[in-house]
Amino acid sequence: MRLEKPVLTKRIPTWPWGDPKDRHIVGIDEYRKTGGYDALKKALAMEPAKVVEMVKGAVIRGRGGAGFPAGLKWSFLAPPDGKGPRYLAINCDEAEPGTFKDRLLVDFDPHLVLEGIAIACWACQIDVAYFFIRGEYHHQAKVMERAIREAYDAGIFGSRGLMGGTVKHAVECHLHRSAGAYICGEETGLLEAIEGKRGWPRVKPPFPAVKGLFGRPTIVNNVETLAAVVPVVEHGVEWWTGIGVAGTAGGMPSWGTKLMGVSGHVNRPGVYEVPLGIKLSTLVNDYCGGMRGGKRFKAAIAGGVSMGVLGTDQFDAEMDFDIGRKYNVLGLGTACPTVFDEDTDMVMVARNIARFFKNESCGQCTPCREGSGWIYKLLCRIERGDARTSDIDLLLELGLSMGLTPGTTICGLADGNNWAIRTIVGKFRADFERRVKPTFVPVHISSASVR
Amino acid sequence: MSWKAKPSATMSIPRRAEPYCTAEMKARWEREVLPKYAVKHGALMPILHDIQHAYRHIPYQAMVEVAAFLGIKPADVLDTATFYEEYSLEPRGRCVIGVCQSIACEACGHTKIVDRVRERLGIEPHETTPDGAFTLLTLECLGSCDTAPVALFNETLHEKLTVETVDRLIDEATKPGGAASANGHGSH
Repeated sequence: MRLEKPVLTKRIPTWPWGDPKDRHIVGIDEYRKTGGYDALKKALAMEPAKVVEMVKGAVIRGRGGAGFPAGLKWSFLAPPDGKGPRYLAINCDEAEPGTFKDRLLVDFDPHLVLEGIAIACWACQIDVAYFFIRGEYHHQAKVMERAIREAYDAGIFGSRGLMGGTVKHAVECHLHRSAGAYICGEETGLLEAIEGKRGWPRVKPPFPAVKGLFGRPTIVNNVETLAAVVPVVEHGVEWWTGIGVAGTAGGMPSWGTKLMGVSGHVNRPGVYEVPLGIKLSTLVNDYCGGMRGGKRFKAAIAGGVSMGVLGTDQFDAEMDFDIGRKYNVLGLGTACPTVFDEDTDMVMVARNIARFFKNESCGQCTPCREGSGWIYKLLCRIERGDARTSDIDLLLELGLSMGLTPGTTICGLADGNNWAIRTIVGKFRADFERRVKPTFVPVHISSASVR
Repeated sequence: MSWKAKPSATMSIPRRAEPYCTAEMKARWEREVLPKYAVKHGALMPILHDIQHAYRHIPYQAMVEVAAFLGIKPADVLDTATFYEEYSLEPRGRCVIGVCQSIACEACGHTKIVDRVRERLGIEPHETTPDGAFTLLTLECLGSCDTAPVALFNETLHEKLTVETVDRLIDEATKPGGAASANGHGSH
């Protein structure tokens, strides 16, 4: 199952259509020459509500992890009340381990994202857009800053109105650099960060669409979601819904193309554009040239560590938004699988993921702040061989007390932590049991074991 | 994310006569940063980025100056400055080496990269060499998992690292004019 033609990677050479070596930053001139900003022109000729209808009809599910339909989110915005600006926050806080798909778009085709932003701002009558980029993306922030300047110079944004005054509605677009905090990828944590505060997620409701940035109605969308709006407007809903799969397990459909970034033990790791619903085994064997060194597949993180792992017998899992219902993981997430071969120590994987959540827990909710630390300590103990069998169950109990969608915390970080640990222990329990001692033994304290 | 306790009742902050926020910086913030945000507090992160960039840390005195500039409380500045990984209260080295330690990098052998840096520089993660040349950080996912293992040397990402490339990068940074040399231009 392959796409006939690249859609989001039209200007970014990607296997099987092009060689990644030929990638370069697409400036505004090249972008326009290759059909860029045509979709914006088309959208500006339509009523804003019609654009929202279109995006709703295409069921563009959020590409940032949650899979919430973008059109539905847009329709939650109340009509403009004239009391102040409405905001769009573009989430480029791509910090989920294993995820690097938004980086590709920002790195090489920033105007595709900007066109999506302009269309969204027209459709939702938004006045100010903040491109929120993670602190570690230094180069990408520079590329985006230049692209925004180019777009201003070309009149796409600015006080004259969108696209040099084609419509009166004017949009300002600013870059906001974060400074290294995974939690700011959570939509309300992100809003706090733009307001200059620490990125503590807010209690919802009120949802951002009602009361978001600076207390005003705000939409938060992922980079790839906004990029996907462009081809939908350009080619129409029918074309988009011809790609991908309808809901297979009673859920909403998974239509359209998706950027999937494969990392780990494969021959050709990288970002590939595929139709949703592709099998993981196809992605690995066909696109990535198989497992590295001819080794056997052991496990894969479904799409960012929060989603949990797919087991050895789930290599043929279909990568669509129903994956969670079918394969006992939290969901598709960012659709960037990290693949592990037969030599991988799953206790190491669990310990690494637990350390990530311990480091990135923002500290607001007690179950997450304390629980993530204890899960990490327990896994370190299992890894160095000092644990007992009961520690495995204690681990699962701790996870459950932290969160199980909906959990005991304000945001989903604790749920992600629990899902990751629970699925690894559940699907690879033998790996853990081999490492623990069945009876009570004196514990050795080794200073070299805490990494 | 780090948690720092401050002795509020007894704390006194080191001061110098010369302000950290220069007139030139303030003019630039007025011109370029403040208009972007609906409230002044919103400008805090870009301003802290500038201070971190200029002084390689956020001095307490600078926090007080920024608070006065934005009309917010110094505690609000401290709150934000201590929450984010990129801001540091202690001066960082001229060349900050940030090795990714997340799952794709660990699965592809980040340990030998970190060990090599530790060995070469004689420092543990989150420490700075006594001469202020290097700081070693272990960071969570840098978003380049397909080219693991990776590390940031100041603002530049280096991919598919080996022990040999790490050696070469440290040598280059140490050379006169390199990022870590006394006349080098550190960015954090």
